[in-house]
Amino acid sequence: MSKNYKLEAKDVNAFYGGFHALKNINLALEEKAVTAFIGPSGCGKSTFLRLFNRMNDYIEGFRLEGKVLLDNKDIYQKSVQVDELRKAVGMVFQKPNPFPKSIFENVVYGLRIQGISKKGILEEAAESSLKQAALWNEVKDNLHKSALALSGGQQQRLCIARALAIEPSVLLMDEPASALDPISTSKIEELIYTLKDRYSIVIVTHNMQQAGRVSDYTAFFLSGELVEHAKTKALFTSPQDTRTQNYITGRFG
Amino acid sequence: MPPIDIELEKLKIKLTEMWDLVGLQLQTGYEAMVAADPELAGEIKKLGKKVNHYDLKIDRMCENFFALFTPVAVDLRTVLAILKINANLERIGDTAEGIAFFLKKQDGPLDPALLEKTQAIFMYEEALKMFNDCQRAFADNDTALARELIRRDKVLNRIFRKSDNIVLSFLEDAPEKTKQGFILLSIIRKLERVGDQVSNISEEIIFYREAKVLKHKGKKKEKE
Amino acid sequence: MTNAQLNRFKDKAFQAFGLFCTFFGLIVLAIFLLDILKEGLARLDWDFLTSLPSRRAARAGILTAWAGTLWILVMTALIAIPLGVAAGIYLEEYGKKTRMASFLEINIANLAGVPSIIYGLLGLELFVRQLQLGGSLLAGALTLSLLVLPIIIVTTREAIKAVPKSLREASFALGASKWQTIRMQVLPAATGGIMTGIILSLSRAVGEAAPLIVIGALAYVPFVPEGPMDEFTVLPIQIFNWVSRPQEAFLINAAAAIIVLLCITFMLNGIAVYLRYRQQKKVKW
Repeated sequence: MSKNYKLEAKDVNAFYGGFHALKNINLALEEKAVTAFIGPSGCGKSTFLRLFNRMNDYIEGFRLEGKVLLDNKDIYQKSVQVDELRKAVGMVFQKPNPFPKSIFENVVYGLRIQGISKKGILEEAAESSLKQAALWNEVKDNLHKSALALSGGQQQRLCIARALAIEPSVLLMDEPASALDPISTSKIEELIYTLKDRYSIVIVTHNMQQAGRVSDYTAFFLSGELVEHAKTKALFTSPQDTRTQNYITGRFG
Repeated sequence: MPPIDIELEKLKIKLTEMWDLVGLQLQTGYEAMVAADPELAGEIKKLGKKVNHYDLKIDRMCENFFALFTPVAVDLRTVLAILKINANLERIGDTAEGIAFFLKKQDGPLDPALLEKTQAIFMYEEALKMFNDCQRAFADNDTALARELIRRDKVLNRIFRKSDNIVLSFLEDAPEKTKQGFILLSIIRKLERVGDQVSNISEEIIFYREAKVLKHKGKKKEKE
Repeated sequence: MTNAQLNRFKDKAFQAFGLFCTFFGLIVLAIFLLDILKEGLARLDWDFLTSLPSRRAARAGILTAWAGTLWILVMTALIAIPLGVAAGIYLEEYGKKTRMASFLEINIANLAGVPSIIYGLLGLELFVRQLQLGGSLLAGALTLSLLVLPIIIVTTREAIKAVPKSLREASFALGASKWQTIRMQVLPAATGGIMTGIILSLSRAVGEAAPLIVIGALAYVPFVPEGPMDEFTVLPIQIFNWVSRPQEAFLINAAAAIIVLLCITFMLNGIAVYLRYRQQKKVKW
């Protein structure tokens, strides 16, 4: 092997029952870089993203062929414990989904379920991950207030903090800003920008400008196929495939 | 048609109009040189004002386009190309005015023998042809023609490089025509600039159609 | 009349019809309640609540009946809630969506609609005769548990289903196991809904007479039950018994007992409504 990638998909095919959702995907993602997945709805980008923390396992009739590697290890092998995998691969969802608990309990949830209950450790983890998520200053005096009282943008940053608290090395983000207003969106983007020094980030987005602003690499999916994967700069100035060009310039179909 | 295409089309039409104007300046300059008509040279100056107006207008349109449509890929390259072509055209317009300036200094027609020897008329005709071909290449997205134009520019360069020696040796025989020689040399230098600008525009056309950057690249790479 | 006018007229007409329908039910209920209150309220006093039954109407009370009802209520709850909630959780969270599962699902829904007397017959055969529990509180509670189990299972499933997928996903994505997710996220979020279902089903059980009569609960029990194996009676049976007597005085007793029974069911329903209201207010997804 010439190069070590953080995440790698090899000849990946995925099915929902009889529906062929992902077709022969080969893709390698760099460590400590932001990769954006773009493509129209239903193109398989979210399905692909969810392969990396095995979120598709719960879907009835889901089937996977091929290999998905994290740090060169196949994460779909029998010996892999899913909860261990998810400690290494965190995820943030499209709609902010804080638990109906306090801010503090939200952040430390991942630690609590690991059986950690020492107050000092939890408090430290909460502070550091809230700081990383650029939320600390806004909530430090209200840690025990309900997370549902926060604004949408704050909730989403709380969800990021919650994911960071278990110290993953990869952060998957499924359209993290699509439900937010422009100011909250730009805060999330700013955050992604700073987080890439420490995490490998994969972000699914429908917002082309967002992909351009935050990502180093971009992969374009269309009806289950990976059409193009390139440096974001290259993909947005001179895409090699006409389908990519049509999509990013808004002349699709 | 999506709004972005409508706006792009408007931009292209504006640029074509600008192109026509600058073409008229060059053409008038040619006629002024051949017919030795200083009045025509004055015409160029007038056209120049209009060209400047267009230049500003196109700049502003591009600015708005960037702000409102945040173009990417081919759209982005098109607007960038239009922006640069606009600048190049404006400079060609200035060059035409420069030619007019020198022509006005000349009293009476230029010496036919000198014109013949330096190939100045041919050079001007060739520059005009190139300029018009370039407009066609842009309108038809003809990158093959654009590539040919870059090669044709070499012909102008060759004429330009030989011109000073030719004029010098001519002046040795006829030192009283020093002013004529100086004016002609200046015009030839201006025409060489026109060739360069056309060549630049051709590069922009190729860039926006094919996403290949030809600028500052050696000849070898371009051939592949 | 233009088309628009006609439409407006139809609109008004339906509104009036709907109003009539709404008030029809309410008025009938109000007449019934007033009638009962008029007859029974005067009879209702502390003695009535604390006296044992008697052959003489004036001395008869409902102590054994409401004590029996309370016993049945608590025991049914103890049996039916864990079974029903656990089954609901299993079916909703763990059960694979196979054909067997959908077959089960349909049958549970059907069970909820089976007439209560049939449960009585089942209880009679299974608990009273096979398990030889006799006409005891335990047999009664088990029978009523069977009756309310399908309702609890269905409402539990509905409540769990109403917990948004995003909450589950958030928990799974942080490395939680299925049980951790259910215990720490799904159940707390579904508690309101589950409780509502439980209380409504219990209030139904409280009102049942038929299955208990079938298993042999007695109308005349001269003592308050002290353990699960004791014989018992419940309010509905007592009411049924009094109503079927010819003497006017017993009818008045029945009316008074109905008021007590209604109070219990209204109270249970009231709690259910309150829980649902609180849940709706508490969690906004």
